[in-house]
Amino acid sequence: MTDLKTQINSQSSNKKVSPPVKKPGSFLGSMNLAVTLLVMLSIASVIGTVLKQGQAPQDYIVQFGPFWADVFNVLGLFNVYGAMWFVLVLIFLLISTSVCVYRNAPTFIKDMKQFSEKLSHTALKHQPNHISFVTQMPLEKQQNYASALLQHNGYKTKTYRREDGSVTVAGLKGSWNRLGYLFTHISIIIICLGALLDSNLLLKYRELTGNLQAETRAVSLDEIDQKSWLSADNLSFRGSINIPEGGDADILFLPYEEGFLVQQLPFKIVNKNFRVEYYDTGMPKSFESDLILIAPELDKPIEATIAVNHPLYYKNYAIYQSSFGDGGTELQLKIHALKSPRTTPLKLETTINRVEPLKTPDGKFNIELNDFKMHNIVPATEEQMAQTGKKMHNNGPTIIFKVRNEQGKAWEYENYIVPSMQEGRLFYMTGVRTLNSEPFRYMFIPADEKRSKERFFQFLALLNNPVESVEIFSRLYPKGENTTDESYQLQQNLLKQLLILFRAKGYEGIKHFIESSIPSEDQEKVTQYYFQQVSFALQTLYLEVLKREGVISGHDNDISDFNKRWFEDALRAISSLSQYGPPMYFEVENFTQIQSTGLQITKSPGKNIVYFGSAMLIIGVFFLFYVRQRRVWVHIKPNDKKANNYETTVAAKDNKNLPETKKEFDTFANKILMFNQQTFDKPATLD
Amino acid sequence: MQQETYLDEFKNADKNAFTLRDATWIAFVLFGTLYAWIQYGSLMDGYEIGILIGTSLTVIWLGRFWKSMQGFTVLVSLVTMLALWTYHAHGNLITANEEAFFLRFLISSQSAIMWMNALFVLATFTYFLALYNKSSFTYKTARSMVWAASVFGTVGMMVRWRESYLINPEYGHIPVSTLYEVFILFVVMTAIMYLYYEQRYKTRALGGFVMLIISAAVGFILWYTFGKDAHVIQPLVPALKSYWMKIHVPANFVGYGAFSIAAMIGIAYLVTEKTLKKNPNSAFANRMPSLEVMDDVMYKTISLGFAFFTIATVLGAMWAAEAWGGYWSWDPKETWALIVWLNYAAWLHIRMSKGWRGTPMAWWAFIGLLITTFAFLGVNMFLSGLHSYGEL
Ligand code: HEM
Repeated sequence: MTDLKTQINSQSSNKKVSPPVKKPGSFLGSMNLAVTLLVMLSIASVIGTVLKQGQAPQDYIVQFGPFWADVFNVLGLFNVYGAMWFVLVLIFLLISTSVCVYRNAPTFIKDMKQFSEKLSHTALKHQPNHISFVTQMPLEKQQNYASALLQHNGYKTKTYRREDGSVTVAGLKGSWNRLGYLFTHISIIIICLGALLDSNLLLKYRELTGNLQAETRAVSLDEIDQKSWLSADNLSFRGSINIPEGGDADILFLPYEEGFLVQQLPFKIVNKNFRVEYYDTGMPKSFESDLILIAPELDKPIEATIAVNHPLYYKNYAIYQSSFGDGGTELQLKIHALKSPRTTPLKLETTINRVEPLKTPDGKFNIELNDFKMHNIVPATEEQMAQTGKKMHNNGPTIIFKVRNEQGKAWEYENYIVPSMQEGRLFYMTGVRTLNSEPFRYMFIPADEKRSKERFFQFLALLNNPVESVEIFSRLYPKGENTTDESYQLQQNLLKQLLILFRAKGYEGIKHFIESSIPSEDQEKVTQYYFQQVSFALQTLYLEVLKREGVISGHDNDISDFNKRWFEDALRAISSLSQYGPPMYFEVENFTQIQSTGLQITKSPGKNIVYFGSAMLIIGVFFLFYVRQRRVWVHIKPNDKKANNYETTVAAKDNKNLPETKKEFDTFANKILMFNQQTFDKPATLD
Repeated sequence: MQQETYLDEFKNADKNAFTLRDATWIAFVLFGTLYAWIQYGSLMDGYEIGILIGTSLTVIWLGRFWKSMQGFTVLVSLVTMLALWTYHAHGNLITANEEAFFLRFLISSQSAIMWMNALFVLATFTYFLALYNKSSFTYKTARSMVWAASVFGTVGMMVRWRESYLINPEYGHIPVSTLYEVFILFVVMTAIMYLYYEQRYKTRALGGFVMLIISAAVGFILWYTFGKDAHVIQPLVPALKSYWMKIHVPANFVGYGAFSIAAMIGIAYLVTEKTLKKNPNSAFANRMPSLEVMDDVMYKTISLGFAFFTIATVLGAMWAAEAWGGYWSWDPKETWALIVWLNYAAWLHIRMSKGWRGTPMAWWAFIGLLITTFAFLGVNMFLSGLHSYGEL
C-alpha cells in the first residue's frame, strides 16, 4: 500500500487557466469592478457612521470650520446614504452583478448538467489530477468497477463508448455548487430591488419634477403647504406620529431632507391607553399601547395592544411602538409669589404643552409647560441603598417648564412634586438653569411637620413684610426704661434694614454691605453685631410663625430638634432665593397624567422581497461553500497492438482545488489500481 | 467466480452505518428535550417550543457530525443538572451560591466562569510550551484544558440562565444579551470551533495562537467583572425581549469566532513564512503545520464565519424590522455589520475567482479581525445608535 502511494505519483498541478477572451460587458461584470465597488461601499458606510448624519448645518460649521463644512456638504458626506454617488455605487453594484450573472448563468447551467464524458484522452491528461497505467483487466470489469466505485461515493455517472472501442466512465458530484453561485448573485439583485422599492426614490423624482417639497417650518397642520402632503396611495413610507391618550390620528410625519412630509393614512388610530411598567430596579420593563384601528373597509374596528417587539400588522402596514411622551397632562398649579407679603398663591389650571401668559408686579412672563415625568429614577445614595437595598431610587413626578421674560430670557425649572429624603429630612427639590447645557442647580425647600411647604411660605411671607415684622418686635420687646426713644427707633430701623437686606441677598448681602460701607477697622465688630441682630430677628419671626401655627404657646417655649433643623434648612433655602430667577415658585397641587404614545407606521412592499432574497442568499452561500463540484473520469483504452491490454487513465477536477481534492483523487486512483492489480503482479505505470 | 463478487465491496458496505452509539446519542438528546419540556413546557409559547425542537435537532446533528460533541454535551448536561439540583435542594434561593460548597467553589455561574477563565489562560501557556518541547503529552494536556474550559463556560451560561430566574422570575432570560454574556459566548464558541479544526486538520501547533485571542477576551471579561461589576444579572430592557435575539446573537458569534480563528491562523502563517524565508530549515517552522494547510484552514474558517454572519445579519434585519419598524436603518451597528460582510465577501471573491493565496490573504484575514472587532466593540464605545446594549 505504501509503495503504491509513491507509485501513483499523481500529477496534481495548479496550472493557471488562460485568461478568457474579452467579451463585451467584461468590464461591467469584472471581478475588479466588483471588488472596487464593495470597497467603495464599505468606505462610504464608514463615513456614514463616523460623521454624524443629518445634523443642523451650524453644528457642522462649528465642528469643521466653514471651509471644510462646505466641502463635505458638497461631497454629500452629511447625508451619505442619500448622496448621488452612493446611489450610483449601489446601481453599479446591481449592474455588475447582473452582468456577471447574465454572462455566467448559461455556462454554469450547462456545466451543471454535462458530464464531459466525451473529453479526449489528451484533454484528460491536462486535468489538474490525473494518472495512467497499463492493465490487463478486462474492459467490462474495469468499467463496472469504476461506475460502482463512483456511484458508491455519491457520484452520478455516465458511460461513453467510442468507435475505437475505448470507454470513458465520467462521474459528477455536487453540481449544486453552481446553483450556489447563481443563488447568491441573483439574491443580491433581488435584495437591491426590494430595498429600492422601499426607498424614497419616487419621492426624489417627484421633488425633482417640482410637485413635492419638504415643510421646514414648525407650523400647525392646516398651515402646511399642500406640496408637502402625500396621499394614502403612496407606494412605501416610514414615519412617526405621537398620539395622546384618548386622542387619534390619521396622518404621519416623514422626515425628509431638512424638513418633513405629511403622509395621509387610509385608516385612523385611536390611542386608548399607554403604559410603562417597571422592574423593581426602576428600569422600564415594557412599553405598551392599547390601540383601536378604524378603517372604512372594516365592519368592526380592530382593537390591539402593541409593545416593543410586538407590532400590529394590518394589510401591508405595520404599526410599531417606538417612543412615548407627555400627551398634555392636566395640572392644577399654585404660583407662590416669593417676594410678596401675602400668602395666598395664585391658582392656575393648565396642561403640559401649553404656554401661559402671566402678569406680575415684576413684569410679564410666559410660562412654557414643557414636560411632565411620572418617574425620576436616579442611582440611589448609600443611605437609600441601605434602606431599600436597591441600586436605583425613584424621586417621584416632576414638571419641567420655562419662565420667559419679555426680553426673551428664559429660566428652566424642574420641580419635584413629592418631597425626597436627604440626611433624614424631607425636602421639596426645585432645580433651575438658564442654559440647556448646564445641569440644574437645586434649591431644597424643607417640609414641615405636616410634610407640607405651608410653613415655609408663611415664614417667607413674614420676612417679606418688614412693617409687620417691626410690629412684632415692638410688641414682644417694648422700649425699655433706660432706652431713649431715638435709640429704640434706630434699633427697630436697623432690624428692618437688615431683614430687607437678608431677604434680598442673603447673608452674603449683609456681609457685602458691611464691607462696602463700614470703615475697615470697625468691620469685625459691626459684622458680629449685625449677624447677632439679624439672627435674633429671624428667630423671633420664626417663633412667631410657630406660635401662629399652634406649635408653641409662647416665644419662651422650648422648640423641638426637628423645628430647629427646619429653621436652619429654611434659612439656607431663603438665602439662595436670589439665585432662583423670577420670584415665583410653581407648586403642583394636583395632576392627571395623560401620556402620548409614539408610533412608527410603515408600508414596506419591498420587505418580503428582501426577505425572499435573503433566504436565497443564505441557501446559496451554503451551496457555494459546502458543496464542491467534482468530476472524475476513468478512461479505458484498448491497446491496438496487444490484445487484452489496456491503457487506463484516471483524472479528476474540482472547481475549488482544495487539499481534499488531491486526497480524494489519490484514494480513487489507488482503489482502481489495486483492483487492476488483483490478477497481475506487475502493473506497468505510464508517465 | 470473481465475476460475481468483485462489486460486493460496494453492495455490502452500508453508506452511513447507523451504530448503537448513534441510537444512544439520539435517545439521550430526545430524553433531555422531553425533560426540558416537562419541566418548563408550561412556561413556553409556540416560538419557544419551536426553538427547543430546533435546538434538539441541531444538537443531534452536531453530535453525529462530530463525535466529540456527544461527550461534551453529556458532561455539560450532567454538571448543569447537578448545579440546578443543588439550587433546588437549597430552596431555589439565589443565596445558595454562597452557601452550598459545590456552587460556591465550582459551578455557580460565577465560579464556573472563573474556572473557565483560568483554564483558558493556562491552556494558552501549555500550548506554547508544547510547541516548544514538541511533547505530545503536553499537547494533549493543553487540549484537555480547552475542553474543560469550554465545559465550564457552557455550564456557567446554562446556570446563569437559571440564576436569572431565581433572582426574580421577571429578570429571567437566556444569557446572550449583555456585553459580558456575549463575551463568554464568544470565548466558548471560538474554543469549540478551534477544537474541531484541530482534530480534523491536525493543526495542534496553532493552538497557542488561537488561544491568544481567547486569552485577550478573558482579560476583558476579568476587567469587566472586577472593574465594572458587569457580571451582575440585570433584567432585560424591552427592546431586547425578542425571539430573534436568541438566534441572532449566537449566529453572530459563530461568525465572530470563526473570523478570529482565521485571523490568528493568518498571524501564524505570516510568522512561519517569515521564519522560512530567513531559514528554510527553521526548527520553529518545522513544528508548524505546512503553509498550505494553514491557508486552507483559514479559508475554511472564513467560509464558515461568512455563512453564519450572513444568517446573523439577515436575522438582525428581521429583528430590526420588528423592533424599530424597518429592516435597514443605516444604524452604525448595522452598517458596520455590512462592512464586515462586504470585507469578507471581497476576500472570498479574490480567493475563489482570482486564486490569490498565502501572504496577502493572511494579512487580509488579520485586518478583517480589526474591522470585526470594531464592529463588535468599537461601535458600542464610539458611535451612538439604536443598538443600546453593552455600553462600556
Ligand atoms: C455583494 C455583491 C456582489 C457582487 C457585486 C458580486 C460580483 C461578482 C462579480 C462581478 C463576479 C465575477 C463574475 C465573472 O468573473 O464573470 C463574481 C464572481 C463570484 N462571486 Fe460574486 N458578487 C457579490 C456577492 C457574492 C456573494 C455574496 C458571494 C457568495 C459568497 C459571491 C460569490 C462569487 C463567486 C463564487 C464567484 C466566482 C464565480 C466563478 O467564476 O466561478 N458573490 N461576483
